[in-house]
Amino acid sequence: MGSSKTPTKPAVLVVEDEPLLLMMALDLVEDAGFEPVEARNADEALEILQTRKDIRIVFTDIDMPGTMNGMRLAAMVRDRWPPIEIIIVSGHVKGGDVTLPPRSVFYSKPYDTSQITAQLHRMAALH
Amino acid sequence: MLDRLEALAAYDILNSPAEAEFDGIVQIATALCKTPVALISLVEADRQWFKARVGFEACETPISQSVCRHALSGTDLLVIPDLTADPRTRDNTLVTEEPHIRFYAGAPLITPDNVIIGSLCVIDTVPRPQGLEPEQREGLRALAAQVIVLFEARKLSQRKDDLFRRQKSLTANMRASANETLAAQEAGGIGTFEVDIASGILKPSPTFCRIFHVPVAASYPAAMLEAKIVSGDQGAQSNDSSRADASAALEVEYRIQTDLGIRWISRTASFVRDEAGRPVKMIGAVKDITIIKRAAARVQALLDLGDRLSHLTDTESMAMAAADLMAKALDATRAGFGIVNMAEETVVMQPEWTAPGVSSVVGLHHFRDYGSFINDLKIGNPVVIPDVTQDPRTSANAQALLDIDIRVLVNVPIMDQGRFSLVVFVHHNHPYAWSGEELAFLRSFGDRIQSAIARVHAEAEQQVLQRELGHRLKNTLAMVQAIAAQTLRPVKEREHVHAFERRLHALSSAHEILLERNWSSAPVVNVIDRTLDRLAVRDRVDVDGSPVTFGPKGTLSLSLVLHELATNAVKYGSLSGLNGRVAIGWHVEGRGDQAVFRFTWKESNGPLVAEPENKGFGSKLIRMGLAGTGGVDVRYEPSGLIVEMWALLSQLQQADF
Repeated sequence: MGSSKTPTKPAVLVVEDEPLLLMMALDLVEDAGFEPVEARNADEALEILQTRKDIRIVFTDIDMPGTMNGMRLAAMVRDRWPPIEIIIVSGHVKGGDVTLPPRSVFYSKPYDTSQITAQLHRMAALH
Repeated sequence: MLDRLEALAAYDILNSPAEAEFDGIVQIATALCKTPVALISLVEADRQWFKARVGFEACETPISQSVCRHALSGTDLLVIPDLTADPRTRDNTLVTEEPHIRFYAGAPLITPDNVIIGSLCVIDTVPRPQGLEPEQREGLRALAAQVIVLFEARKLSQRKDDLFRRQKSLTANMRASANETLAAQEAGGIGTFEVDIASGILKPSPTFCRIFHVPVAASYPAAMLEAKIVSGDQGAQSNDSSRADASAALEVEYRIQTDLGIRWISRTASFVRDEAGRPVKMIGAVKDITIIKRAAARVQALLDLGDRLSHLTDTESMAMAAADLMAKALDATRAGFGIVNMAEETVVMQPEWTAPGVSSVVGLHHFRDYGSFINDLKIGNPVVIPDVTQDPRTSANAQALLDIDIRVLVNVPIMDQGRFSLVVFVHHNHPYAWSGEELAFLRSFGDRIQSAIARVHAEAEQQVLQRELGHRLKNTLAMVQAIAAQTLRPVKEREHVHAFERRLHALSSAHEILLERNWSSAPVVNVIDRTLDRLAVRDRVDVDGSPVTFGPKGTLSLSLVLHELATNAVKYGSLSGLNGRVAIGWHVEGRGDQAVFRFTWKESNGPLVAEPENKGFGSKLIRMGLAGTGGVDVRYEPSGLIVEMWALLSQLQQADF
């Protein structure tokens, strides 16, 4: 009682190398009521994950420059930070050759922003 | 001509019933030369008779109608690109009347005594100014050679059958006359034997010993000879117990392992019984039928190859299938393929097939450790080395090859974009006498593997290219979406922004469906399912229509219109309430160029609807209908909205935009 604390917004790490798409994704995450955190590639994303402990959801593209792509990043997140939820997007059609890590979802680009918003809310509600 | 008639008589083949081996050859010839007709034509004095035929009704024709008779004078292919233009054939009634044949190519059938008895020919009903491709010419010659091999084999086996029939009558005849027969059979390459059932001792004739590759001796334990039979055929032969109760099969074929590799043996036998009817002796004859067996195996392998390659789409399984078939046809001891690094001149041998007791060569090898034959492989030439100790390309390195059980080496290079990328190999661990037919077989086999794999490569490249294009297109659409999202951020009426975004998705998912089918076509039902799924209304729509496929133009048009219809239904129409439904139906009316695709969208159980006063983009798009010539009928009935659209099917199926 007494001291009211503003509830902190859950943080979503957006990983995207294309600036325009990154901007749109950050807006989407913010409009959905989350705190957006940006990373331009998988290496940057890993650094952030190691220092910030409040990331609840990783929202990543697949095709990115750097030492690993989004699929490897997702696999590593699932391995090292099991509680974090994962959303994967790509311009590639999802085919049999794409194996998603457990508890991750895939959306094809261009994605429907309302579907992603709903997905973020569902994932946040799990915690 | 007398030579020809004599040769035909010796084969005793005229008017014989159809045989699968020859039917197979004409089938291959039509496939090879891409003609509707192929014939094995034997030319008599007054007629030509067909031993096998594809695409031709009559089993013989008068000599006056024969084109093949013109092939009897030359020793190479006779190719007539346009039969109406050639003085020898322009008056032929097969040319001037039904079936109006136009193109002819025939390879002469030449017996081992150099007599031409007819031809293996292919016929088309359209002229071919260019004649045959070089590999078709080569293939046709090789198939013609196969026909003769089979004729020879047939003759041999007929002689064998005759001899065996005589052999069977032995038991009933006097022993004295049998001796004469035996002498005759020894001369004909037939070995005879007699097994004493009680002791298990076999008395062989000298020819029997030669056929079994054992020193000539008066007797052998039967079990010792039985042990020479290869493991796969063990059980076919007789043994002590099956002889004791006379249950052994009387006519069998099996393979034996000899110093010179595997040989095929045909054996026939009968039992001699005592007065009580108990079997006391088994007597019989054996013959080496390896040549006949291999000839048949080669024809079968060529047929199987075409069949197997057409079902496979990755080069490695194709290479393995080819190696497997080659090994069977040539009684090899090892077969498989390797992945080549041309710059390093190395090959990584993949898990291969080996005969029992033969080691594996899986792993990395340097070509130069085994000789200089990589020079031939690099330029795409198959390498056939009948004995590695004798061939100049390998003799200096023979020991390295012998150490890994390679005495005979066959390598067929597979090129990928001009680079030597895979090698199909067949090895024997013993010297192997190659016949001309076998070498021709190997060349033709190699050509077929190479061309089949080249086809698969071309298809794969095209797919990669299309996937890449699709990927870029989707990324571009994503960028358009991002630009619009940024530009329209200040717009207060978010509904319009969302409508734009959803239309972009409708377009994108239409592209996605097309991409899955190589950008060529999409089944109407898939387009409908995908669009409705995306809007999460699929379970409220009844879909019923015949299987119809659209081209890219029709697919995009239908996706966009359907998106608007469904969006409107969710906002204002039957899908805005809980109980409303939609029925989608379509069918094709008429045929050919005039066929019309007719599509109906029928809402029911929704709120009362009226024609909207303001026509938005969606309504306009719906009123445009499907692509091209056609029409739209929009009716706001009390039961709900009904939209009918129709368009020429040919326009909806058009391949380009």
